Amino acid sequence: MKRFDKESLTADVACIVLGVLFVICLAVLAVRLKEVQVKDTADYRYAYSRQAVRRVQLAGERGRILSRNGEVLAGNRKAVSIVCDAADFQKKTWKATVESIQKAIKEVALLIGAEQEIGERSIKRHVNQSLAMPLAVWSDVDHAVLARFLENEDKIKGFSVVVSEERVYPYGAVASHLIGYVGRDRAEAVAGDEKFNFFHPEMRGRSGVEHYYDSYLKGVPGESKLLVDARGFAIEENVVIEPRPGPDLTLSIDMKVQLAAEKELRGEKGACVVMDPRNGEILAMVSQPGYNLNSFVPGISHDLYDRYVNDPGKPLLNRAAGGSYAPGSIFKPVVALAGLKLGYPYAEKYECTGVYTLGKMHIRCANRWGHGPLDMPEAIMKSCNPYFCNLGMDIGTNAIVKAAHELGLGEKTGIDFGLDSSGVIPVADWKMRTYGEKWFMGDLAQMSIGQGMLLVSPLQMARMVGAIGTGYLVTPKLLPEAETIRRKVDFPKNALKVVREGMRRVVDGGTGKRAGKDLAVELCGKTGTAEIGKGEMRRKNTWFIAYAPRENPTVALAIIIENGDSGGGTAAPKARNILAAIFGERSAE
Amino acid sequence: MLEKLKRFNYVMFFSMLVLIAIGTIAIHSAGNARTEEVFHNMWVNNLTTAVFGLAVYLAIAFTNYRKILDFLALPGYVGAIVMLVAVLIFGSTIYGGRRWLWFFQPSEISKLAVISLMAWLFGAQSERPRTNFKWFMYSLALIGLPAALILAEPDLGTTLTLIPACIVILFVAGVWRRGLMTLILASVIAAGAVLSAVWEAEKPGVSEERRAAILKYVPLKAHQVKRVRVFLFPEEDQLGAGYNLRQALISIGSGGMTGKGIGKGETNHLKYLPQAISMNDFIFCVWAEETGFIGSLTLLLLFGAIVVPGCWTAFFATDVSGRLLAIGVSTLIFAHVYVNIAMSIGLVPITGLPLPFISSGRTFLVTVMAALGLVQSVSVHREENIR
Repeated sequence: MKRFDKESLTADVACIVLGVLFVICLAVLAVRLKEVQVKDTADYRYAYSRQAVRRVQLAGERGRILSRNGEVLAGNRKAVSIVCDAADFQKKTWKATVESIQKAIKEVALLIGAEQEIGERSIKRHVNQSLAMPLAVWSDVDHAVLARFLENEDKIKGFSVVVSEERVYPYGAVASHLIGYVGRDRAEAVAGDEKFNFFHPEMRGRSGVEHYYDSYLKGVPGESKLLVDARGFAIEENVVIEPRPGPDLTLSIDMKVQLAAEKELRGEKGACVVMDPRNGEILAMVSQPGYNLNSFVPGISHDLYDRYVNDPGKPLLNRAAGGSYAPGSIFKPVVALAGLKLGYPYAEKYECTGVYTLGKMHIRCANRWGHGPLDMPEAIMKSCNPYFCNLGMDIGTNAIVKAAHELGLGEKTGIDFGLDSSGVIPVADWKMRTYGEKWFMGDLAQMSIGQGMLLVSPLQMARMVGAIGTGYLVTPKLLPEAETIRRKVDFPKNALKVVREGMRRVVDGGTGKRAGKDLAVELCGKTGTAEIGKGEMRRKNTWFIAYAPRENPTVALAIIIENGDSGGGTAAPKARNILAAIFGERSAE
Repeated sequence: MLEKLKRFNYVMFFSMLVLIAIGTIAIHSAGNARTEEVFHNMWVNNLTTAVFGLAVYLAIAFTNYRKILDFLALPGYVGAIVMLVAVLIFGSTIYGGRRWLWFFQPSEISKLAVISLMAWLFGAQSERPRTNFKWFMYSLALIGLPAALILAEPDLGTTLTLIPACIVILFVAGVWRRGLMTLILASVIAAGAVLSAVWEAEKPGVSEERRAAILKYVPLKAHQVKRVRVFLFPEEDQLGAGYNLRQALISIGSGGMTGKGIGKGETNHLKYLPQAISMNDFIFCVWAEETGFIGSLTLLLLFGAIVVPGCWTAFFATDVSGRLLAIGVSTLIFAHVYVNIAMSIGLVPITGLPLPFISSGRTFLVTVMAALGLVQSVSVHREENIR
């Protein structure tokens, strides 16, 4: 029986109060648990994924670059790397982990007969910075190493094979400046996207078409998620978004023409551009000396790069589009057109005495005894200096400058390519700005024969000679499917006819007759021999420009050989061989 | 015997069994996440211990608690003191505390020994009731001795759960209530003062000199100050001192309403939840992550179904020792449950403390099962008033 005294009553109440207190306290826990597990659960899930999930950006395969006939100019090959998964070597301390990885690498190196490529420092850095990612121990291994690895695979724990893409240029040094090379870089993050923890670097264009069309060629990066444990080791990987390859890019380059041009320029310093003057498609673009594109894959060595940069021949320079040369006599058609536009009597004869005298200045003709009386087509054919000096004096600087601009000189060609030299068409203002000197009559005389301060690029000259042949100035392009941009050049119909006639005669019996020898096509052309430097440094840059066939031309060509003998002797035969590759030889009759 | 079975509290009994089952599952999950193979079979150990514990439980439940107290209360207390001294001398050190003697932890057993001694002491019929100031001082000494020995291990958590149980026993026994109330009030004020002092010292922008000057007067060790700081400012230092609390919250919170599925606790398996204590002090996080709010609420209800019937048993007990036993054990278990769960959700500072029936730990499991057996015995034998 219970006792009912005062003491006992208080104790009874205490038991009940305590029971109620327990329930209240448990209810407090339940309320707080509901807050943590229901109300704030999204925050904690986010916090969990922040610490346990690493986002990895995967590189997409880069599109190939093809010639117009489908030859691969830049493609991808599979590169096999042997990687180490740090999770399989985890030890209590980081130091011990690094040591055990190092030991394992040494053992595997012996098994597969490969030299140890990475040292303790790289392993430490990997463990510190990108522990969750596989550590590339041997990159781009050869078949023998791979075979030995696969033979011993069951003995090798914690190492695996990873296949990635590597750029390859099947033609090596051919069209190297045009195609360009790639480097490795991380892909651009999509705007507003969260940061990636790790990334596989993708190929990014560094020069040439690779650079200009980089955003077109590059693959679409994917994404994978790595689950990492508290120490940072990867537990599993899920590819969330598969990377997608970039599209192929077909260029207008015709390998038949390109290879012929490469052959002609091999061992020389110079450049050549072959273009379709109807639409501006570049059929070939050569710049020599060049370099092997594959030496930039996967990365160029510092030594080799320094050697390229310091080479006096400037192999890295694309002379075809970025070179600036004095045009010499190939500028004479421009002066002729300028005169004809002003109504210069082309049939009137001028008496060449072998020298043109302007005050104290004497400009000599190629023929030191003088050509005698000649009209304009004949002057073009024989490249007579006094005739054009006289013509230039007659029409003045402005007319020549206007004609030069009409033919696309002194401005960028607009080619879809990084490097595009605008050259120089000097005028009084320009000379004052650049040299602080006035424009003299001598400057005009020099300009009339393509000397002096004039500078043009081979690409500009190919475009110009095409315009003379077709009557239309086109913007050169590298993609056949790109829109054709062209405009009619503003010269009287007759003017073009006269110049074409002069250029026909150049090939048929003039300075450039070696260009048309035994060729299955008839062409019009102009030679040029630009003298640069003085005294000991005196050199001659030899030019030949041409279009073919004579009616409705389909090919425009400009070639320059540095330090040649003469345009007709050095450049014209090479132009002939390139044209032969397009139109064929004339069978012996 | 039929009478006994009638008075047997089945709610308490089956809640305990379900809790042990839950504990075994949680230990399985926590153990599997460990790298060391040893822990993978921990759940089997737990199960065999539970079988042994169940035998102890039933034996005690069907033996009159008065006899048990008369035979064992005093020797048990003395034995516990001897073991507590022995553990300080011979014990092995694990995680910064000298707590283990051979295969068990004397501090766990001593909690039950102290409660039993109090129940026996104040329940014994004597001519003069033992409720005056003199007996209050005696009991303070009897509680203080083991409490001091446990604190010396050091094991703050166990001490903290013993104190409320003893206070409740003294109060219900009616020992010098006025003084007791004053003492409780004083300790609440003292605890408040310590908390505010740490707040003052650790709040952002306090100079190093001022901090040291304040902390000089705070009777806490450096690591305890750190825990209080984490409790007061959980947003700071989440990778250092606050790491455990942060990870506990992430585990529990990421479980959501229904949990991630048994055996699929990510934070546990990826070892973000501190591995050293995931099977003991943080076992609740493992369960809460895998079963979500539904699972943790179930757990709370099951604990409620043990401690509330405990109070019920105390209320209906027919003598003082039975009442003290029931209320003391219930308070002890409740204190463990509350502090353990509350610390992992940031309601109280972190302190090392197992969750009854759930945490892995053989001594503690057998101890709480034996303690609950005593409560059951009070329920079963309440009508047999022989003394």
